[in-house]
Amino acid sequence: MRGALRSDVVVIGAGSAGLTAAIRLAQAGAQVTVIAKGSGSTQLAPGWIDVAGYMPGERAPLASPRRGIERLVARWPDHPYALLGVQAVKDTLAWLLATVAAGPLAGYTYSGGLDANMRLVTALGGLRPSACAPVTFTAGEAAGLRRVAIVGVPALRDFHPRLCADNLLAAGIEASAHSVALDLGRADASALALARALDDTRARRAFAASLAAVVGASDAVGLPAILGLHEAPAVHSELQERLGRPVFEIPTLPPSVPGLRLYEILRHALRAAGGRLVLGASVVSHERSGERVTRVDTATAGSPSGYEAEQYVLASGGFHSGALELDSHWQAREAVLGLPLAGLPREGAPRFVADYFDEQPFSRVGVAVHADLRAVGAANVFVAGASLPGAVPWREASGEGIALASGYRVAELVAAEVGATPAPQSSGAAAPAEGVGA
Amino acid sequence: MITLATEVLVIGGGTTGAGVAWDAALRGFDVILVERGDLAEGTSGRFHGLLHSGGRYVVKDPRAARECIAENRILRRVAADCIEDCGGLFVTTPWDDPAYAERFLAGCATAGVDCDELPVTQALREEPRLHPQISRAFRVPDAAIDVWKTVSALADGARQHGARILTRHEVRALSRDGDTVTGALAYDLRRGQDVAIQARVTVNATGAWAGQIAALAGIEGVHVRPGRGIMIAMNHRLVAQVVNRCQMPTDGDILVPIRTVSVIGTTDEHTENPDDQAVPPAEVDSMLDEGEKLVPGFRQARALRVWTGVRPLFQDDKAQTLPTRDLTRSHALLDHQKRDGVGGLITITGGKLTTFRLMAQQTVDLVCWMLSRMRPCATGSTPLPGSESGEHYRLGERLARKEAALRERQIVCECELVSRERLEAVLDETETTEIDDLRRRLRLGMGPCQGGFCSYRAAGIMHAHGSLPAARADQALTDFLKERWKGIWPVLYGDQLRQMRFDEWVFHAVLDVEHLPVDGDAR
Repeated sequence: MRGALRSDVVVIGAGSAGLTAAIRLAQAGAQVTVIAKGSGSTQLAPGWIDVAGYMPGERAPLASPRRGIERLVARWPDHPYALLGVQAVKDTLAWLLATVAAGPLAGYTYSGGLDANMRLVTALGGLRPSACAPVTFTAGEAAGLRRVAIVGVPALRDFHPRLCADNLLAAGIEASAHSVALDLGRADASALALARALDDTRARRAFAASLAAVVGASDAVGLPAILGLHEAPAVHSELQERLGRPVFEIPTLPPSVPGLRLYEILRHALRAAGGRLVLGASVVSHERSGERVTRVDTATAGSPSGYEAEQYVLASGGFHSGALELDSHWQAREAVLGLPLAGLPREGAPRFVADYFDEQPFSRVGVAVHADLRAVGAANVFVAGASLPGAVPWREASGEGIALASGYRVAELVAAEVGATPAPQSSGAAAPAEGVGA
Repeated sequence: MITLATEVLVIGGGTTGAGVAWDAALRGFDVILVERGDLAEGTSGRFHGLLHSGGRYVVKDPRAARECIAENRILRRVAADCIEDCGGLFVTTPWDDPAYAERFLAGCATAGVDCDELPVTQALREEPRLHPQISRAFRVPDAAIDVWKTVSALADGARQHGARILTRHEVRALSRDGDTVTGALAYDLRRGQDVAIQARVTVNATGAWAGQIAALAGIEGVHVRPGRGIMIAMNHRLVAQVVNRCQMPTDGDILVPIRTVSVIGTTDEHTENPDDQAVPPAEVDSMLDEGEKLVPGFRQARALRVWTGVRPLFQDDKAQTLPTRDLTRSHALLDHQKRDGVGGLITITGGKLTTFRLMAQQTVDLVCWMLSRMRPCATGSTPLPGSESGEHYRLGERLARKEAALRERQIVCECELVSRERLEAVLDETETTEIDDLRRRLRLGMGPCQGGFCSYRAAGIMHAHGSLPAARADQALTDFLKERWKGIWPVLYGDQLRQMRFDEWVFHAVLDVEHLPVDGDAR
């Protein structure tokens, strides 16, 4: 008989949906194993928590994420938020804020909630409506900006301070563009390499001194998101102190330093709760007994491995992660467990349309689920994150909200199935509940 | 209104027009070239990149084959840097009539196209992805030619000899003095002004649009029958050399490795409108099916983009009903004095990229005759700028240059290894406000990520380096995204769909390009 690792729950996918579900289940006392092909897309994400920022097709941002959720659901009854509800999103954000605050990066906190979207500066000098953001971002809220200095680093080709500043000017914020060298000895340095460099005390002091020389009479300083990886709170507060004014990060092209910080915090929380994480494990086959999945097998670098569990959480992502596939005959399939899809354009209808900025008919495809997030055709598989159909997360600015809240909600449903009890709040963490809209 | 005067006015900035400008300037004529878009934006920039050995025409159109092999040999000398000497094969697949191979061999011998049969095992060793059941294989001197580099070099060379190259100048009228064309009225699309150009000879080198230009002079009956064909760029080089099916030329029977991709071509459908860029799904499907016959697994390979080129196929009235593939690939040089009694105007159309130099030579010979100033053609022996060393382009050249300057040169486009230095130099040279123009000059955004990373960087650099206002830089970015998407969505499946979802994330979730700032947004 082939061996297999037994757990109560196997979570497929290590993005923010999968990790949230796994952490919550592990905290509830379930034995959880996360298997994932890659390390998820949290590390590519900007770091802010989008919940509901736009109604597709409307230019004006949504003022309130709570109201935004309601409007999205009213307009698209098959939207994932229809299955989650506002309360689950609110609980999830409270849990996330507490988890980050209790995480390994002391002093690194998230704030925000469902009452009002922040308007955070983008690399193009736009203003992104987002529900929550890390402490290193929040001084960049448009409402508080008057005279801002946008500072780039020449070695970072992924951030162009002049374009950012001049677009901010167009939006009515007095912004100036500057450049400060952070020399790693190469013409190109990634955001990650620069962040690691600033983790070093001496390097950040020198950087602060160079910044002080250029930021002039500004009353806030915006920098690309490179302010330290493991030492982010120290880097951020030290820069603020030495410049004598608020400093904020602006996320830019992947890989994302704030995304990496969040990923590390979630991974740490999983480990602390006793969950297991197996990366580089791609599901190649599975076994079923009737409507139940009984086992999944993965190809890993070392050897093939089998995993058995009572319940499975599918949080493997959408077309971007390869969990959903479309072939050259325009046939779509769910590649991990072969589950049925929802949201497909009808046979013969166009998958895509010619205008880039129109909604693409194919973009709401996902794994078909019942109202309790159970996959159609698999009684013990629950679906979370970008695998869910019905949303256009990046255009709605809803991606993190859907991912985190569906992971959180699935954990509650699965816990009930395996007889575990999820804690109402992250165990052991003091929740700064005042940060979340009541 | 600005008024310019010249001896030779060339209308059209494709390979033919740029070739005429280069030839005429080299012979000492004063030249102005006008192009309504960017150089090589029309048919020239929309082909698969094959420098013909002539093999494709040896059975069907031996005259075209002879022209091709002669020009192939000349261009290898004078445009060496634009050519990758990848070589070419003709292979008999299980779907091809085996009897064609003998006709092909005989045709090559007659037309003078070098051709050697090689053992199938050898062909499969060289091209392991080819269909394992090919029964015969022949080696011919096909090559890959970078058309943007070629047209840029032609224009640069012409400029060095005094020519003025005016892109984004659209010809709106031809001027006539009695029975003589005396130049053209153009509109400068960038500056928004009329430009009157007086010329002693006007050359209509507008390819599939030649009938439209001739009609501006009141000349009817220049029938250029546009033959529309689609081509698909596949990521990576599925083959190392050009591979043709050994059969009468048909749809989807050639795969050309060029730069970092390989291009399968092509269909051939009649269209009324040379600006028709339709990509019918059925044609994509048939192209992929044909690809499978050359390279099994073709449908699983990653398709990057698809585009449409419109061949200018010249026909006289009696050939009205022939399918476009059966029209001659040879070119037509029309002296409108003789043909229509209208002096000062020449139309050069038809033909194909490989024979552009010959077309230009014959055109400028006629110009000489019309101006009664006989001067010998020098394009057969004068290397183009950049090709002086006579060395062919090698894949990996850019990488070698990058590696030599790792510490000094920032890379803006990783897929195609475009440095910031080069990008800024092109911005200085061309004063362009379009990222798509940078693409044609530099191949920026042409690799697997299709601009996912470099288009934001390019917009930032265009704004910071040049004088492009922020709103215009934003526009350049969104225009480029829209333009790229046109070629992406009809072949969007498999790994490229993954890529595009990632790009969508970058542009919408991180950069939020759909909500760029407008006045007073923050308040």
